[in-house]
Amino acid sequence: MTAAIPQPSRTYDLSFARWVRENVKGGDKMNLCMQCGVCAGSCPIGDEMDNGPRKTFMMVRAGMKEEVLSSSTLWNCTSCYRCYVRCPRGIPVTSIIQGLAAVAAKEGYAPKQKVENYYFSKAFWWSAEKFGKTDERLVTMKYFFSFGLSEGIKRALDNLKIALGMVKAGRMHIGLPHTIKNKSQLKAIVAKAKELEQKG
Amino acid sequence: MSEKMKFTYYPGCSSEATGRHLDESTRAVFPELGIEVQDIEDWNCCGASIGHIGGGPLPQLALNARNLANAKKNGNEHVFTSCAACYLNTHGSNLTIREDEKKREQANEALKAGGMDAYEGDLKVHHAMEVLVNFVGMDKIAERATNKLEGLKVAGWVGCQTVRPFAETDDGGNYDTYEEPHFLDDITKACGAEAVDYEPKTNCCGGSVAVMKPEKTLHLMKLLLEEAEKAGADVISTPCPLCQTNLEMYQEAINKKYGTNFNIPVVFPQQLMAVAFGMDPQKDAALHRNTIRAEKLEKMAKK
Ligand code: SF4
Ligand code: SF4
Repeated sequence: MTAAIPQPSRTYDLSFARWVRENVKGGDKMNLCMQCGVCAGSCPIGDEMDNGPRKTFMMVRAGMKEEVLSSSTLWNCTSCYRCYVRCPRGIPVTSIIQGLAAVAAKEGYAPKQKVENYYFSKAFWWSAEKFGKTDERLVTMKYFFSFGLSEGIKRALDNLKIALGMVKAGRMHIGLPHTIKNKSQLKAIVAKAKELEQKG
Repeated sequence: MSEKMKFTYYPGCSSEATGRHLDESTRAVFPELGIEVQDIEDWNCCGASIGHIGGGPLPQLALNARNLANAKKNGNEHVFTSCAACYLNTHGSNLTIREDEKKREQANEALKAGGMDAYEGDLKVHHAMEVLVNFVGMDKIAERATNKLEGLKVAGWVGCQTVRPFAETDDGGNYDTYEEPHFLDDITKACGAEAVDYEPKTNCCGGSVAVMKPEKTLHLMKLLLEEAEKAGADVISTPCPLCQTNLEMYQEAINKKYGTNFNIPVVFPQQLMAVAFGMDPQKDAALHRNTIRAEKLEKMAKK
């Protein structure tokens, strides 16, 4: 009698890994990862990350979409590119982490967790899109106050001394924000880019 | 002076606020080295290191495409910027537009919506430091540095995005290495100052994370200051506007948290050069814009 051939159950859902491979910049290189850990070992801010890049890539492969997209790793990367240039397999680690962060922001994983980076990025982009330039002063204020009024006031006061020093040195702009001349042109360009991104 | 090379210049948002002294000293020094600086017309923000989260990757590419398309109008082959993030984004977007057909088409469709001509990725984008290394050369800097900064000890802090991941250049080859870049010390020496050994020269200050949540990165900056102090540096020199601002503005918070007593000036190599070239300490070197004043360097400046 021959024993029945076992039917291994599929515990991994590969659809997420495939999706990342096709939709995240550099994602097509992720399958070259040999889990050596050079990236995580080189990271200056690894202490603030739950998983770090190496583990994140393994989790993507394992189909752990929820865990990956709600991971603190995506929000604490400083974009220092140390991992990127050191990876022995030539994987653009930083680009993949950034790409996953962009997906997480779009899919609504970030605000749930009250992620600083998400709010800061939103405040930053608001200025870039509205004025065509980053007004560091308005971005910081908008960011501070995205945590609520009292937290906003607290953070603003904490930073008042720094701000005054900058004003004195002529490095904090006072008055109306700097803007580009052709704001309507920039608006049309960004709107089109957003539309194309939605289409994929 | 022999004929000047014309470069298109992308000042970036920090040039109008926290990094004004970088912009002013760049505009002062580069023409002295034979580089004529012509601004990109009506330039906009590059999206920095977080635009992909706030706006998305393609809108960020579109921002950069608009700058490049405007840069094209200047008729110069070369574009440069002094800001690490501006460089990373402009250079990276330029490569994407040049090499990725789909992205190029999308970027151009966006430009068209704004009534702009298509851009094919044919400009060459450089970091200001790369321009000094490859187009000017250290000999020329040394020759122009008539007011040598003798006795000034400088810790050269390159930071991250100035060399990573794009130390490779648009003209082929790399302008320096990722792990042991020496261009910054070379500039220090060309100015007649002493480049001290500085182990953490390619360390990260925390970048935008330091701005949004300093608590997370104060220990990174503390190490940078500690090592500079150990090396006996009078000033730290860095090419990056965000590095400069972070390391200067958070010294007090670091002192408060760790019970330290740091008060180390952080300057740009362009400021060192302006003083070494005997130029005006305010108008050209913009030394009055450092919130921790570089007193020793100020004393060396020609009044
Ligand atoms: S350094 Fe590269 S190969 Fe090694 S674990 Fe990180 S991504 Fe994988
Ligand atoms: S780029 Fe991000 S993940 Fe990579 S070493 Fe730097 S902080 Fe860590």
